[in-house]
Amino acid sequence: MYRLIFKQFFRSKVVILSLVLVVVLGLAGILIGKQFLDRQERATEQVTQYQKEHIERNVKFHQDEMGLLLYYLRFALINQPDKLAGLSIGQSDVNPTIQNVTIRNLEGQKYDTDLVNPSSLQAGNLDLGFVIIYLLPLLIIVFMFNLLSEEKEAGTWNLVSIQSTSKLKYLLTKLSVRGIVLMALFVFLLGIGKLVLGFALDSAYFAFFLLGTCYLAFWFSVCFLVVSFQRNSSFNAVTLLSVWLVLAILLPAGINNYLGNQYPVPEALETMIDQRDGYHKKWDSDKRETMERFYTHYPQFESYGYSEGEEFSWLWYYAMQQMGDDDAREESNKMRDKLMLREQVSKSVSWFVPTMHIQLGFNEIAGTGSSDHMAFLDKTNAFHERLRLHFYPKIFANASALDENWRDFQPEFTEKNLSVEWGNLLLPLICCTVMVFIFAFYFANSIK
Amino acid sequence: MKRENIILIARHFWVNAFRGKVVYPLMIIISLLLCFSAYSGWTYYEKQNEIRSNYQQKARESWESNPDKHPHRMAHFGTFAFRLKYPLSMFDSGIESFTGNAVFLEAHKQNSVNFSEASLSTGLLRFGELSMAMVLQTVFPLIIFFLGFSAVSADRENGTLKIILVQGAGWKEILIGKSLGLLALIVLCFIPVLLLMLYFLTGQEGRAATDVWIRFLCIGLIYALFFMILSLVTVSVSASSRKSKNALITLLGIWLFLVVLLPRSSQALGSYFYPSPSKVEFESLIEEETIQKGDSHNPDDPYFNSMKDSVLNAHQVSSVEDLPFNYGGFVMGIGEKNSSMIYRKHLDELMRNYERQNSLSKITALINPYMAVKNLSMALSGTDFASYVDFQHQAEKYRYELAQKMNELQMEHISPKKSEGSAGKSHVIGKENWSGIPDFQHHFFSFENALKNELLSLISLVLWCLTAVWGVTYLSHKAKSV
Repeated sequence: MYRLIFKQFFRSKVVILSLVLVVVLGLAGILIGKQFLDRQERATEQVTQYQKEHIERNVKFHQDEMGLLLYYLRFALINQPDKLAGLSIGQSDVNPTIQNVTIRNLEGQKYDTDLVNPSSLQAGNLDLGFVIIYLLPLLIIVFMFNLLSEEKEAGTWNLVSIQSTSKLKYLLTKLSVRGIVLMALFVFLLGIGKLVLGFALDSAYFAFFLLGTCYLAFWFSVCFLVVSFQRNSSFNAVTLLSVWLVLAILLPAGINNYLGNQYPVPEALETMIDQRDGYHKKWDSDKRETMERFYTHYPQFESYGYSEGEEFSWLWYYAMQQMGDDDAREESNKMRDKLMLREQVSKSVSWFVPTMHIQLGFNEIAGTGSSDHMAFLDKTNAFHERLRLHFYPKIFANASALDENWRDFQPEFTEKNLSVEWGNLLLPLICCTVMVFIFAFYFANSIK
Repeated sequence: MKRENIILIARHFWVNAFRGKVVYPLMIIISLLLCFSAYSGWTYYEKQNEIRSNYQQKARESWESNPDKHPHRMAHFGTFAFRLKYPLSMFDSGIESFTGNAVFLEAHKQNSVNFSEASLSTGLLRFGELSMAMVLQTVFPLIIFFLGFSAVSADRENGTLKIILVQGAGWKEILIGKSLGLLALIVLCFIPVLLLMLYFLTGQEGRAATDVWIRFLCIGLIYALFFMILSLVTVSVSASSRKSKNALITLLGIWLFLVVLLPRSSQALGSYFYPSPSKVEFESLIEEETIQKGDSHNPDDPYFNSMKDSVLNAHQVSSVEDLPFNYGGFVMGIGEKNSSMIYRKHLDELMRNYERQNSLSKITALINPYMAVKNLSMALSGTDFASYVDFQHQAEKYRYELAQKMNELQMEHISPKKSEGSAGKSHVIGKENWSGIPDFQHHFFSFENALKNELLSLISLVLWCLTAVWGVTYLSHKAKSV
């Protein structure tokens, strides 16, 4: 019987057409992911090359003035995306993966955005994540909406109900055929993804697979629930598409609107102004006061004195720059807290909305979510501080630039520790799926 | 074709729709959605504009509070441009959430426009944003399809179609009548949107100039056209399908393809085929070209050295200290001019590349009325790509003029003896100069330009209208009653 059900299933032109369409888009998604990774790799090469030439040129011109040299020099920190990012690009198209900073005031540099086409951002990435989150559910709907109704409408249901021992079992067999086809497609796409993008078969990849599987199971459960209402095909199609529209577009978009309105981030603009005023206004304020504040921050440098009497000194200059960061730090931390809050609220809400949950989950597994970017900003702080502490004493003592081993200053890479929290990742989807299936079976028991 | 018959059929369709159970929950859901998106669009507009103008003012006060100082210090002190939202952005948020909102304007350096909503978002933004326009563009077509898929096919299925035809109604009257009935139902849902907007816009003090009202009218018009096309298409599909079920599946397929698949795929393809440079690449190219032109940081740069010689020659003096103006200001003015020109050239090239990326999805407007309406709606709401590019240009223009003004002040008022450095209290100009410079004012993109940019979409919409009307006429000769 299984073979016949397969045959019957593939006889539908709509099924074949939509399968082909999804496969094509899935492959396109993988290629787009590949392009994203290649682009990142090229940017890494470019920044490495650039940093080398940039340091060489500036050292040539400003070798006797360490303070001036470090005014110009930029150092790169790269948040190299994991290969899995090719499957779920997430936020890493809008958030930069490379920070290229001078040792001056960091708050004025670290929020600089990447060059991106806003129209492309609005349309959204067509990565494999999109295909899984949006299109596979639609495919499931196409497979499932007339599971029972087509038999009733074609008049074959009466035959089936006298011939089979259990009507429910027959329906479940039909469902399993569709499940197998869909899983085969899912595994096929992930397999091609592995071949093209070349990621390792580690726990993150496995988590990606399991999360996807649970999500697909959820959609099967929803479709089965609607089928179990035993209405006609038109009703099922309209209902399922509406559920899809609500879950995949309206609800997440509405929640996003709510978040944007509820938690605006004026702190971002405040930080911008504070870092500027914190530094620039020091040109006109008491020099000694600035230096005292600087030495409160870095008591280890106090021996360099107060450079009084001089109109300008690099010591004073960098102390002023430091004040920009120190004055903006409070607002900057507030902004960070606000963004964490947004993240937290999204995550809590997503427990109840599978589409949101899988999107955030994919991004987290692939290290392309907003929490990963915040971690990158924190690492940028540490990187910048390390550079400062290295160069401050050399600037203050006006050490010769030629004594520095500039070849050591290659772009650095952040360490990503992508760990999978299995419970938080899978439980919400499993709970939703089981609940919907229980309802579905309750209604399906009364199928006539 | 009799007018009474058309009206009769339209009215019958209308009454029938309200007799069914579906229409009430649908209307309730639609109203809730619209109210929520109107409320959220409006609060977002108000909150953001309040925040942004507040900080614009704060930045200005900070600028004006500066004491007497060297003008070059002020050039670096710089100022900010915060992008204000256009009132109609509460209707259609367009690409605004994906564009930066604040930029620091200082001498020598073109900073990026930062803090887009997308960069502050948790990734949920990728599901889209709920705005009134979004509801009209994506949900309304579905509603039209739901309400109209069985308009003709149901009559055929239960045999009433034959009776109507026998009683003297022509096919054309039936098709047009049903389309009108369907359109009337949708307009019933659309009018509250216009009223809501009207309410919000009149509540706006001062800012709601004639420009806004023209745009408002155009928005009403293009959506009305859009709904008309959809009604005609729905009824045509229904009339040419043997069964209601088939009509519904066809219509849902059309919706999925045109609203979900095509826009994203065409944009993705555009980006795939016209990759844009990375930031490092972009910046290093500019830096390289600027250095080639003349590197003001290089003490032995031939360009600046020969310029110095010619300036000294022209004034017949032997050193820059003897010039009648401050040479430092002069050099910086030249440097600013060169680097700005080079930057502008590369930025324009980048924007042209973005436009190339967008061109594919713009062209799809010809086959996809959803895309046409989307583009027009964004342009009319002042939230499209062109408006953003325009803001960037305005900010850069202001930055350039500010830097050059400071260089001029330095040339005129700072002693020629002070050729380097800008610290200290001795070589300064009065603080009254700071308040004399006007603050950055963001001018909204003009209506004519917005419309000119979206001419293709406008043409497409009109063509679609004509095609739909022609399609109905054609069908009325071909359609069969069984």
